[in-house]
Amino acid sequence: MTEQVLSPQGQQCLQALMRVWFDFERQLGRVPLLQRLERGQFSKADYCQLLLNWRQQVIEGSRWISRCASSFDRDYSDVRSVIIGHAREEHRDYEMLEQDYVAAGGKLSDIQSAPRNIGTEALHGFLMYRASQSNPVDLVGAMWIIEGLGQKMASDWAAQIDKTTGGDGSYSRFMRYHGANDDDHLQKLYQLLDRLCQSPAQLTAIVRTARVTARLYCLQLEEVDNDY
Amino acid sequence: MNVFITSSGHFLPGPPVDNDQMEPLLGLVRGKPSRLKRRILQSNGIKTRHYAIDANHNTTISNAGMAAKAAEHCLSQSFLGKRQISMLSAATSQGDIVLPGFGSMVQAELGLSDIELHSSHGICSSSMMALKAAFTNLLAGEQPNALVVASELTSRLFKASRYEAAGSELDFNAEFLRWMLSDGAGALLLETQPRGNCFRIDWIRSFSHADAYPVCMSVGYPSDNPQHRSWQDYATYAQAEAAGALLIRQDVRLLENIVKLGVDGYLRLISEGRVQPGKVDHVLCHYSSHYFRGKIFDMMQRAGVGIAEHKWYSNLYSRGNTGCASIFIMLDEFRRTQRYQTGDTILCMVPESGRFNNAYMQLTVVEA
Repeated sequence: MTEQVLSPQGQQCLQALMRVWFDFERQLGRVPLLQRLERGQFSKADYCQLLLNWRQQVIEGSRWISRCASSFDRDYSDVRSVIIGHAREEHRDYEMLEQDYVAAGGKLSDIQSAPRNIGTEALHGFLMYRASQSNPVDLVGAMWIIEGLGQKMASDWAAQIDKTTGGDGSYSRFMRYHGANDDDHLQKLYQLLDRLCQSPAQLTAIVRTARVTARLYCLQLEEVDNDY
Repeated sequence: MNVFITSSGHFLPGPPVDNDQMEPLLGLVRGKPSRLKRRILQSNGIKTRHYAIDANHNTTISNAGMAAKAAEHCLSQSFLGKRQISMLSAATSQGDIVLPGFGSMVQAELGLSDIELHSSHGICSSSMMALKAAFTNLLAGEQPNALVVASELTSRLFKASRYEAAGSELDFNAEFLRWMLSDGAGALLLETQPRGNCFRIDWIRSFSHADAYPVCMSVGYPSDNPQHRSWQDYATYAQAEAAGALLIRQDVRLLENIVKLGVDGYLRLISEGRVQPGKVDHVLCHYSSHYFRGKIFDMMQRAGVGIAEHKWYSNLYSRGNTGCASIFIMLDEFRRTQRYQTGDTILCMVPESGRFNNAYMQLTVVEA
């Protein structure tokens, strides 16, 4: 846990990102759907609804991260390699999510035809916009939030979902899988932070993008309860 | 105006009780030894603690009685007599009686006259809230001094008979604290003038997150409780007890949040410029368990704001986790036994898991 070495600038950025993350967790704690999950009053239907809403973002997620990679120029080719690797690893994750949805009792055609919710629209729009800028250094802030959430799903939500819905792990595979390579991903993220946060302006941009991503992610989860 | 801690005291009831003596004293639940005890004790690292109940489950001294003993211990080494005390600020998680406030009972026990009174209610951080109330009272010029006392007598909740009365099988969350908490009291004397070698209170701050997290440690809810039914909602107290609503519980799944919230507050104080990690000479952190010490320490290191291991002081392992009294008992023993110099900075941290309130305080060693 303590093996990574960060530059002073990277270290400062990490402190700020940790605070954004802690604040994000508190925001999540105020989302009604997640409060029901915490209380144990969360049904299989709630879970299906969550997956149905989530899928659209997971699909879009692989798009913005690919675009982000392509927006880094030759001076950042090392960064591009890391991000391409990441995009490649995750770009078909949504298939596992769809299988979970079906295993939990949902219809494949329903999840495949569901539109993006309002929060997903906003999050996707923001991330695609940022990813289209040249050398989008700030997106490491978005990765911080999304990577953190993957860990939270695996270490926290998956077990609680199975507990409250009487599951045996057979339909929470997507969430659990995200915890599998935690340390490796985290280490890569620290390296990216060190590489990409080299000035106060970059620090501000990274932290701001993390904040916006956190807020819009939360909005996406708040919107799960809304039907259109 | 400055406020100084000019004296301190503690009271720990009876002889130290080691890990092997715990269960015979608290009692076997339904005649069976606990299967969780070893694991929990291994993780919290506590070797000895004190109880204000004996093996026959008689209470040997009341909670208010312990508070008074600690306060007397504190006063016996101070420049002030009881008659000169102008304020009492008292904290506990659970007094001997439900009403009136704990402070009234402690005042009577101590025989303090005509004082300004404050009672603070909560769990581990309630002592820090009591301390802050006294601190701000003095800062505002309302009083020249205040006695701040924190005391806990949780062992009464851990008697085997309590668990037996709660009917069904013991669950982990209800048993967990039985191997964590014990009894004791601590007291501090605050004055607006320094005396000899004493501690100046630079600031006290807390951050509460009850709006974002569910209840994590409680007395008053049964185990399965979708309707948020409290112990007072039952027709009789006997029914509440049978439903397990009077057991002390810790939601162990939520407990891990304490680490990041503790570090979160620390990072906030750094960005506000209140804490300068490089300038901290001593850390007194009320972690409930050795297990969490490592986690807090690692996370602070990871954020690049760690404080060297040799600067951390705790007497958790020998005095036990006495809830809100812990930080005062720790500070008292630190004052008496550790080496520190004029100008040293002491950072105190009390992360509370009840519904996640984190309190911090910075002290500076001064010489009058």
